[in-house]
Amino acid sequence: MINIVFYFQVHQPYRVNNFNVLDIGENKDYFDGALNREIIQKVANKCYLPANSLILDLIDKYEGKFKVSYSITGVVIEQFKKYAPEVLDSFKQLAKTNCVEFLGETYYHSLSYLYDRDEFQTQIDMHKKLIQKEFGFNPITFRNTELIYQDNISDFAKEEGYKVILAEGAKRVLDWRSPLYAYKDYRRNLFLLLKYYSLSDDIAFRFSDRSWPEYPLTVDKFLNWVNNLGLDKEEGKNLFLNLFMDYETFGEHQWEETGIFNFLKKLPEKVMTYKNMRFSWPSDVLNLCNYEPETLFVKEPVSWADQERDLSAWMENSMQQNALETYHYLLDKIKKNKRDDLLEAARKLSTSDHFYYMSTKYFQDGDVHKYFSPYKSPELSYIYYINVLTDLEERL
Amino acid sequence: MFTWEFPPLISGGLGTACYGMVKALLKNSVEVDLVLPTKEEVYFPMRKPEDVDLLPVSYLGKKGKKKDFKNVEEKIKYLGLKGYPETYINFEEVESYHKYLTYFKDKEKDELEIIKKYLKGEEDIFSKIKEYTIRAYDFAEKLKFDLIHVHDWLTYPAGVVAKKASGKKLVAHIHATEFDRSSISGDERIHKIEHAGMHAADAVIAVSRYTSNLVFNQYRIDLKKLHIVHNAHEHDFDVLTKKKKFKGPVILFLGRITLQKGPDYFLEVGNRIVKKHSDAKFIMAGSGDMENQIIHRSAYYKLKNNFLFTGFLKRQDVFEIFSFTDIYVLTSVSEPFGIAPLEAMSFGIPAIISSRSGVAEVVDNAIKIDFWDIDRLTSSIEYLINNPKKRKEIGEKSKKEVETIRWQTASEKIKKIYRGLL
Repeated sequence: MINIVFYFQVHQPYRVNNFNVLDIGENKDYFDGALNREIIQKVANKCYLPANSLILDLIDKYEGKFKVSYSITGVVIEQFKKYAPEVLDSFKQLAKTNCVEFLGETYYHSLSYLYDRDEFQTQIDMHKKLIQKEFGFNPITFRNTELIYQDNISDFAKEEGYKVILAEGAKRVLDWRSPLYAYKDYRRNLFLLLKYYSLSDDIAFRFSDRSWPEYPLTVDKFLNWVNNLGLDKEEGKNLFLNLFMDYETFGEHQWEETGIFNFLKKLPEKVMTYKNMRFSWPSDVLNLCNYEPETLFVKEPVSWADQERDLSAWMENSMQQNALETYHYLLDKIKKNKRDDLLEAARKLSTSDHFYYMSTKYFQDGDVHKYFSPYKSPELSYIYYINVLTDLEERL
Repeated sequence: MFTWEFPPLISGGLGTACYGMVKALLKNSVEVDLVLPTKEEVYFPMRKPEDVDLLPVSYLGKKGKKKDFKNVEEKIKYLGLKGYPETYINFEEVESYHKYLTYFKDKEKDELEIIKKYLKGEEDIFSKIKEYTIRAYDFAEKLKFDLIHVHDWLTYPAGVVAKKASGKKLVAHIHATEFDRSSISGDERIHKIEHAGMHAADAVIAVSRYTSNLVFNQYRIDLKKLHIVHNAHEHDFDVLTKKKKFKGPVILFLGRITLQKGPDYFLEVGNRIVKKHSDAKFIMAGSGDMENQIIHRSAYYKLKNNFLFTGFLKRQDVFEIFSFTDIYVLTSVSEPFGIAPLEAMSFGIPAIISSRSGVAEVVDNAIKIDFWDIDRLTSSIEYLINNPKKRKEIGEKSKKEVETIRWQTASEKIKKIYRGLL
């Protein structure tokens, strides 16, 4: 049986203002409220609202057989409350169907795992409490920021009560293995589910690419591929086709005109015609895994970003490294000085997107970085970020 | 007078210097018709000192229609004056220095021919200069004047043309040469134009001894017509009250981030000092072709948030930066004059300045260093960081000293040079 596991990432950072040296000490807002409002509202109309409404319809229509999971960051929920409360309401409606699973992650979508383990745990706790409060859901599946995973992340996840963890199905992790099986972490405490990146990216990145030989992607074609993954030999075993992607794929990265919503709408109906396919949640692996999963060792961190699928999207160049080190040096100082009044602003600056904008990678990935960045250049995003940190430090 | 820059829309020292100079000349009852690179064929007849701010306009032909403007900025915009630092474009077509040297063989050639030959290029700046130069004929024929005064190579072709057309004497002012702007060679066309302009001139004015030496060594200008008139300082702004923006001391670099200004030396010094004084803030104010390189290297040195960048600054922002600066540093590899250090000193900021600058010749109360001597530069900054009293003392002395460096004195010297030609 093949279990199609959808996980959608819902996240928007607090984008930093154009903050100049002269703005330091002048009580200027760290974040560009107007821009963040504009983006939240734009994406709400193009993606969050229509996609939520479609998924709610599908859940109703197929009476619980259509299942999806979401990871929604704390910072995007805060911004929904401020700029688009109807989006949060629609997620709450989805929660009420009991047909969606909510995942746990860091509240601020941060890289704190790499720099400050205490902070990492605090942010996981904060996020869990928020999900419980907003959706009445107690998450048992964990995904770290940008799907960053390495062995000892599972230790933290276990300590926080998680049972399942999601990661990128990078080739250097899997080697000859297939991402379709469930795995266990290096201590065999948690289940690991790995993203099937080629099929995920066919939807997330290539769906509307006219230069792609497979264009246009139809539901029939897609499910035909799934059906021919060589599963016939594995009869009886429960396999997991993990389709992980940004939620903004629907209507924002792929516009409505590309037919992306129709694809999603038709998918469940066709899946139901295959006897060997169904939709599942990540946490279903706990009951469905009917074989002894292999242990997967991941010594070097993997992520779902860029071609490299490592940490280079956020910490490759010297600007990113200096910004990250300066940030964590300051966060430490704020905590030591017990300046809780500065902690909230400081934590909003831990979001990984700030460092992503500073990337100077070129070729294909540079374009992706550029697409997401609100700044004219990586250098400018670095300058504004450092200036904001300086303002924060002067307030200490 | 032909010049490429004049306030309010200026990019660097040239516009600031012309402003102070013209204002003082007007006070000294010299009348000036100013020609700028405007879209419309106009000139600015200046008759009284206030005119440098009012910028009265006359059309050369009769076609010009009277138009009312709300303010000077609006007028300037209508006339099509650009506010960008195009004066200092680095040309990509750089030919060898040796080729330039062979030029001296045909020095008896007519300067106008040389200019016609070398004022060639597809770049925006060259087509603009050509347009400006062609217009110089009209100005020379239609305006009444006694002398022609031109500033830097951009206006030398116009000066030579105007001299041929009118038979009047030509004064060539040197604020910077191609040798200052580029490291060794530079753009051959610009060298030729500078050389031709200075040779055609009846008097050449260098803004410092440093520059006059350079001009003599490189262009072999007749010493009898070479004069030195130092720039000065026009206190045209309200001094903002001193502010404290940062807990630690603020050390400022102000200028284009380009080879000539030695930004890399400022960074190296910053790197050394921040390691010892973790609260010191180094601010690099300006923009330029080396900006990204310096940003990346400062991050590579892991200077945290102790090395900050402002990007291009408006004039008002410059004064604001001065209001919280504790130490000003000029690391220029070659600085014909350097008005910015005088402005910093007028704010009571102690200055450490490169000895390869004109400004080093006119001030006593600044610490003078060799731009390459990072050890001494580091110890000088540290000395000032560790001795706030001394800092204040030098700052106050600097302020007093700068007040004595007046454009009035400079304009008297210029007037004397004028008289010698008439």
